[in-house]
Amino acid sequence: MMGMWGNTIYSSGFAIEFEKWQGTLEEVIAAPSKLMHVITGRAISNAFFGLTNMIAILIIAVAGFRVSLGIADPLMFAVSLLLTLLSVSALGLIFASAFVLSRSAQALTNGLETPLYIVSGSMFPIALLPFWIHPAAYILGPTWGVDAIRLATSANYVSSSFWAGMSPGMAIFLDLTVMILITMAYVAIATVLFKLVERRARITGTMVQA
Amino acid sequence: MNGFRIFLSSAVFSFRAQFDWLNPVMWLTMKFVLSISQMAFFVFVGIFANAPIQFIAVGNALQSISWNTVFSVINITGHDKWDGTLPLVLATPANRLPLYIGRAMIHVLDGILSAAISFVFAAILFGVNFSQTNPLALIVAIVLTAFTMAGFGLLIGGFCFFFRNPMVFANIFTFGLLIFCGVNFPVSSLPAAIQPFSYIFPLTYGLTAARDAIIGQDLIQVAPTLAIQLVVGVASMLIGYMLFRSFENSARKTGKMEAV
Repeated sequence: MMGMWGNTIYSSGFAIEFEKWQGTLEEVIAAPSKLMHVITGRAISNAFFGLTNMIAILIIAVAGFRVSLGIADPLMFAVSLLLTLLSVSALGLIFASAFVLSRSAQALTNGLETPLYIVSGSMFPIALLPFWIHPAAYILGPTWGVDAIRLATSANYVSSSFWAGMSPGMAIFLDLTVMILITMAYVAIATVLFKLVERRARITGTMVQA
Repeated sequence: MNGFRIFLSSAVFSFRAQFDWLNPVMWLTMKFVLSISQMAFFVFVGIFANAPIQFIAVGNALQSISWNTVFSVINITGHDKWDGTLPLVLATPANRLPLYIGRAMIHVLDGILSAAISFVFAAILFGVNFSQTNPLALIVAIVLTAFTMAGFGLLIGGFCFFFRNPMVFANIFTFGLLIFCGVNFPVSSLPAAIQPFSYIFPLTYGLTAARDAIIGQDLIQVAPTLAIQLVVGVASMLIGYMLFRSFENSARKTGKMEAV
């Protein structure tokens, strides 16, 4: 999860920053393809590339720390992982639209990485966080994805999941449904933001100087 | 006098060139966000794992210095390559020692500010108890850690002249500090074979001294630890300088200044 988000946010932030530094952002904007489509391709491919981080970490966990890994439901694990990747990518798109307008994309990238690790419950339960942070966790698609991945890994986790008392299969279904709805909202928001950002940048002519 | 002028101008212009894209508001915002988010992340992991959170909060407060003095200082080398300023740096007749060491010095001040902000967060948000703290010993430990870690940054930065992408090394070494230096767990928790490596990093000594100062030890008591830290930091700085000179000589002979 951490690898996926790290790769996505850096691909969104630094890709645009490097385009600015190297003077190629003008060509990207002038191309007939929409900027959002270009950035979407990068975000998805980088999120998938983040899987290599996950594999490396799992190998280290098993080989270095003798962690016993088992997957209770391999099919749902794969589905949950795939949908979480797409959700992370969609979230990255929202931030990418802001990065186009900011000279400080690099700083924003650094600043956004750890908060998602905290809020998504990827390393510790959300219940440990102050209650006022909980709403931020619930509107993050990856929060539900992490819950589904854990459920697919171990059926016993259901008692600690968002859907305690339900069957693991139903809990995964509900997690993925919520995540898909949130991801669709991300895509809708990102589409609107990219249109606004592109239009503003064309009117003011400050995209590259920003 | 001329050496001091070179030292100052190298410090100021290197920092300005590296962060010309960052406005002051964003700089300050990120300073707060990065300090609090890293500390919060590891503290909550510590709560989940029933680890002592004061230990973790103090460790991350001092480690925040590394983002400025290691990550940023290593990336000066990267910026020299990316921005095309390396030939200008090597062409100047200026004395190389103040030129090379000076470039890290604003980052030392920046790192001290990061640590100050982080220690305030540690006290307010995570209840770190500073009631027994010896302020002078803690301040000296923070300042010396910033200076010596800049030395370590210059060491790796010097090494990175020989590679195309210093950013990779900046990431590896900055995150590596979290494992080796006793930031989130004591060095003694590491496998015995790895523990000796911890003592090549000035941060390890800085953390020991800062923790001792927080429980009330005075400057005299922490001085031996700080003395070793200073030796390690200055040695790192000088090795970094020698690597820089070695790269310069090699670049002049082979004409591969920017080809690596």
